[in-house]
Amino acid sequence: MKILLSFDIDGTLELGDPPGGVTVEMVRRAHEQGFIIGSCSDRPLSSQRAMWERIDMVPAFVASKHQLGDVKMKVSADAYYHMGDRDTDFQAAEENDFGFWWAHEAVAEPWLALQEDE
Amino acid sequence: MAREIGWERNVDPVGIWEHRGKVALVGRGHSTTDRRWDGVSMDKTLGAYAMVAAQAAMEDAGISPDEVDGVITSAGGQPGHRSFGEQWAPRPYFDPPYDTEDGLTFVTAEWLSRQLGLRNVKYLNSHGETFWNLMGLAFQAVGDGRCEVCLVPYPNGNLEGRYHQAEGLSAPGAAQWSSPWGWGLSGQGFVFDQYCRKYGSNHDRMAPFVVQERKNGLLWPHSYYALHEPEPFTEEDYVNGRWIAKGLSIFDCDRPVQAAACYVVTTAERARDMRQKPVYVLDHTEGMFQPRSLVQTLEESEEWSDILAKRAYAGSGLRPGDIDLFSPYDGFAINAQYFLEAFGWRGVKRGEAHDFYAGDISLHGPNPLNSGGGNMGTGRMRTAFVTDPMEQLQGRAGDRQVKVDANVAVTIGVLPGNACTLVFSTSPD
Repeated sequence: MKILLSFDIDGTLELGDPPGGVTVEMVRRAHEQGFIIGSCSDRPLSSQRAMWERIDMVPAFVASKHQLGDVKMKVSADAYYHMGDRDTDFQAAEENDFGFWWAHEAVAEPWLALQEDE
Repeated sequence: MAREIGWERNVDPVGIWEHRGKVALVGRGHSTTDRRWDGVSMDKTLGAYAMVAAQAAMEDAGISPDEVDGVITSAGGQPGHRSFGEQWAPRPYFDPPYDTEDGLTFVTAEWLSRQLGLRNVKYLNSHGETFWNLMGLAFQAVGDGRCEVCLVPYPNGNLEGRYHQAEGLSAPGAAQWSSPWGWGLSGQGFVFDQYCRKYGSNHDRMAPFVVQERKNGLLWPHSYYALHEPEPFTEEDYVNGRWIAKGLSIFDCDRPVQAAACYVVTTAERARDMRQKPVYVLDHTEGMFQPRSLVQTLEESEEWSDILAKRAYAGSGLRPGDIDLFSPYDGFAINAQYFLEAFGWRGVKRGEAHDFYAGDISLHGPNPLNSGGGNMGTGRMRTAFVTDPMEQLQGRAGDRQVKVDANVAVTIGVLPGNACTLVFSTSPD
């Protein structure tokens, strides 16, 4: 089962401004375990790409927050999840039928349980 | 000190400013720029940053604290003399001895004067409003002789959390129709949409302007982006920005930051003995307008900016062709064209701004619009709008130094409904 994880950055990832609780290690672990990862943030696309370069990872997608629906069209997966700290994250996920975790929930790496459920 | 009123030059015909060329900018200083204050670090408060900026400005001008006889500030950097902290969600004051936020989220002239140990100050004023009006107030005060060597700090801050999100208890008057659903930002997009419909343009055509501003801002060492987000900002980035309200993208909105700048303003006579080449003030004019109906329209934005431009030309005695550098406020980038077209800089007429943006507005080209990068290029410091023209006219803008012969610079802000125009020159004549 292919599961796509979309990470908001600011307020969600530890690299964000403000920093969130989701660490690079968590993101890397998800990638290594076969999750499709990428970012969906209000940051400029070039800034998102630069962030991924800095941690030496290649995301499957980068998108603006309102483009979460485009991610679904462009990247094939069996399940889609977005996580973030703002109501705009929640709205984007809800409008595009993504599962959603608030940033404070995401620090528990709830996606790992999805694999265990398989 | 009580707020002074009636200093603004906002009644037509304004006439040539009585102090034209007799007041000068001679020093500037900046703090570093952070994204926000953490509410804890006492070396990163607005007060701390204002002190850093003031000391740097005095050093830049080559003066000692004992030479300063006036301090004029905009305490919170906001309209209505408010602390910026007031715009965040309610929160308690700090524990004693901090029974005031003076020096934390706002900086009064009294506080700064005490902290800097300014012994010879005879004029203090903490009611400078937003940045351009603050500078106008200072120029008028020095011209009027209220003080001779004046520090003019402008602190502008940002706290954690979201601002303008505090719940209000009332929505009086026309606000009853707009406040409940947040017209403030929607209104910006509404007027821009009217502009695009009237002149056959679209939002994407703003991209070259905003991208160029970021390029310029990255060349300014104090800018937020140079310090914290040095990646180039591209047209792809701009056109993929999320709508805040239709017609207003997230990349049309300046990023709130925590920073302070300070200027030394003095008489042309005293300026001759100071370290830096004087930048003479030829004029300041102001204007404040109210919409005829509930919300501002394009017609009003154009009418008001036309009045402001005519007033500035009348007050300075200049014509459009005399302006070498033009720096219109861009805190909402989609407002800049109203000023550009009203002033007719480089012959730009109504509806032509986006064509102009598509041409060469590069820093080293013939039309270096907002050579300092504005707020889109530096963050919401606002002070790039004076520091850059000042440095350009002094010939010390470094990598940002324009190639055109720069002798006269004009800057205007904030928005068409409430703005001040400042006119600077290398010559007092």
